[in-house]
Amino acid sequence: MTFLYDVTLRDGNHALRHQLTSDFVERYCKLADNSGVWAVEVGHGNGLGASSYLVGKSAEGDFELLSTAREFLKKTKLAVHAIPGFATIRRDLIPAIECGVDVFRIATHSTEATVSEKHISFLAERNMEVHGVLMMSHMNSIEGLISQATLMAKYGASAIILMDSAGHFIPKDVKERVDALKNTLTIEIGFHAHNNLGVAVANAFEARSAGASIIDGASMGLGAGAGNAQLENIVAASLRMNKYESGLDQLLEMSQLVEDSYPKNLPMSTATSIRSGVAGVFSGYAPQVKELSRELGIDINLLWDEVGKRKLVAGQESMIREIANDLMNL
Amino acid sequence: MQNRIRIAIIGTGNIGTDLCARLLRDDEFEVVAFVGRRENSPGIELFKKHVRHTITNGIDGLLTIVDEIDGVFDATSAFDHTSHWELLRDCGKWVIDLTPSQIGRPMVPVLIDESNNFELEHQIVSNYSMITCGGQSSAPLIFAMSKFSKKIKEIEVSSSIASMSAGPATRKNIDEYIQSTENLVRLISGCNLTKAILVLNPSEPPIMMRTTVQMEVGNCDIDGVLIELAILVSQVKKYVPGYDVVVEPHFSKPHTISGTVKVTGAGFVLPEYSGNLDIINAAAVETARRHFKKFAHLAKPKTLSI
Repeated sequence: MTFLYDVTLRDGNHALRHQLTSDFVERYCKLADNSGVWAVEVGHGNGLGASSYLVGKSAEGDFELLSTAREFLKKTKLAVHAIPGFATIRRDLIPAIECGVDVFRIATHSTEATVSEKHISFLAERNMEVHGVLMMSHMNSIEGLISQATLMAKYGASAIILMDSAGHFIPKDVKERVDALKNTLTIEIGFHAHNNLGVAVANAFEARSAGASIIDGASMGLGAGAGNAQLENIVAASLRMNKYESGLDQLLEMSQLVEDSYPKNLPMSTATSIRSGVAGVFSGYAPQVKELSRELGIDINLLWDEVGKRKLVAGQESMIREIANDLMNL
Repeated sequence: MQNRIRIAIIGTGNIGTDLCARLLRDDEFEVVAFVGRRENSPGIELFKKHVRHTITNGIDGLLTIVDEIDGVFDATSAFDHTSHWELLRDCGKWVIDLTPSQIGRPMVPVLIDESNNFELEHQIVSNYSMITCGGQSSAPLIFAMSKFSKKIKEIEVSSSIASMSAGPATRKNIDEYIQSTENLVRLISGCNLTKAILVLNPSEPPIMMRTTVQMEVGNCDIDGVLIELAILVSQVKKYVPGYDVVVEPHFSKPHTISGTVKVTGAGFVLPEYSGNLDIINAAAVETARRHFKKFAHLAKPKTLSI
C-alpha cells in the first residue's frame, strides 16, 4: 500500500512566495478530497509559524488556510509541516490540534532530530498521527540518518520522512537510504523529492520500490526550487505499472487547476535550480539568491557556489546577504 | 582583597565551567565555591586547586558556607533554579540566573543606563535573568533601531548557532527559548508583535553565531540608528569582545529595516564558535559587577576577631 502525500499547498507555497489564498485552498481541496491522495499538507512553505521577514510573510495566516482546508477535506487527511525553532507547541501545535489537523510532520535538519523531542512526544502522547521529517537529508551520512530517525521514532513518530530538500539525490542514493532505514526501523518510511536534477519522479519510484510507503508529490510539481515530484506523473506511470488503483482524472483536474491558476509560478528545471541541486543548497533560497545577485550585480553562479560552500541549512536566508557582501568585498 | 566580589557558581556543565574560568581570571571576583552534584564532574576536577570550596552535594553543600559569599551564579536548570532562588533569597544573597526560568528581572547590561526597563534592582537581594543568547545579541540592535523608528509594526529576531554549541538543555527548551526571547524584544521596544526564530547549523567548521533583527516601521532615521548602535556596540565589546555588526541596519525593502550581528566567543573554556554561550556568561558577569558596585557602600566591614 502506498500513501500519496500531497504537498502542493505547502511546498508549493514556496513557489507562490507564500501568497497562497484560502480561495485557492478551497478549490484545490474540493478536487483533492475525491482524488485518492491520502493527505493534503497545507501552510506556509516552511510550515506552521514560519511566516516571517526571514523566510517570507504569508498572504493569509496558517489558521485561515487550515480551517478552509478542514472544511473541504472529508476523506483526505489534513496535514501540517512544523519546524521547531519556528513553530512552538503553545502558539502553533495546540491551535492546529484544535483546528482538526490529522497528520503532524515535525521537521528538523537531518542532523538535529533532538530539537524535535518535545514536539513529537507532545503530539504522540495525545494520540495524534506524527511523522518525523529529516530535511536536507543529503547533508548526513546513512549511519547518521539511521541514528536521527531512531531518535524520532523513540520520541513517538509513527513514520520517518526523508526529504531531499536540495534535489541533490539520484535514484541510487534514495535506494541506499530507504533500504538502510527499512532494515533498522519498523515504522513507515516516506520520501520527499525535489526535481533539481530532473529525477524527482524516478527518485519517488525508487523510494517506493525500496519499501517507502509514503510518497510526497505536488500537482504540476509546485514546490521550492525546481519543484517536487509531479504527483500526476507518479500516478500515471503507476497506472502503467498496475501499481495504483485510483483513477487519474481527478489528479489531472488538480494539475490543470494549478496550471491555470499560477502559470507564472510553475517550477522548471533551470540553470539556477540545476546549479543549486548540484551544489546541494536548499531549494527555497532561489528567490533570495536571484534578487541579491541582481541588486548587487554579483554573478549568480558565484553566489550559489559560495552559499553551497558555507553549508547553509534551511532558515538562514539572512546569511545570503552577508555572503553576497563578502563576495563584493573580495 | 576585601572588596572583591565573593561568589559561588552552581552547575558544573559547559556554562558553569566557562564562567568559573572567566571569573578566576577576573581581579574583581573571588570564586569562593564551585558547586556540582557529582564527585567526578570534569569541571570540579579542573578547578579543585583554584577554588576555595569545590562542593559536590549541590545547594545543601553551598548553604553550609553561604556566609562566605555575596552572590551566586546559577547555571543549572530552570527547574532547579526555582528552589535554589528560594533558599538563597532567604539567606540574603543576590542571584544571577543563567537558566531559562524567567523568574528574575530580565537584564541586558548595556541597557542599564539607557532604558528604565533595565535599571538595576533597588534591593541587594535580587534575581536577574540573562534571558537567551538571541535576546542578549539582538538587544543593542533592537534598542537602536526602535529608538529611531516611528510606528513600529512588528519585530523579528532570527539567530543561527553552531549545532555543537547547543547543549541538551537548549535543544529540549527551544520553545521556551523562543518565548523568552520574544518577551525581551517586547520589553526593549514596547512593540507587542514580536517573533523569535532559532536555527541550528551543523556545518564543519562550526559557524559563528549570527543574529538578524528585522523591523517593520512607518519610518526610520537610519543615520540615527547607526550612531546609536556604534555607541552601544563599543559598550558591549567591553564585556563581549567578539560582538560585531556584520550587516549594518539598512532598509531591506520599503518600511523594513534589517541588521545582523555576529558573536565570536572569547574562548575561555568553550570554543570560539560558542558565541551564544559566551554572550550569556559575559552578560552575567557584567550584571553581577554592576549590581555589586551599586550596593558596595552597604557591605559590612569584616568583623575583626581578636
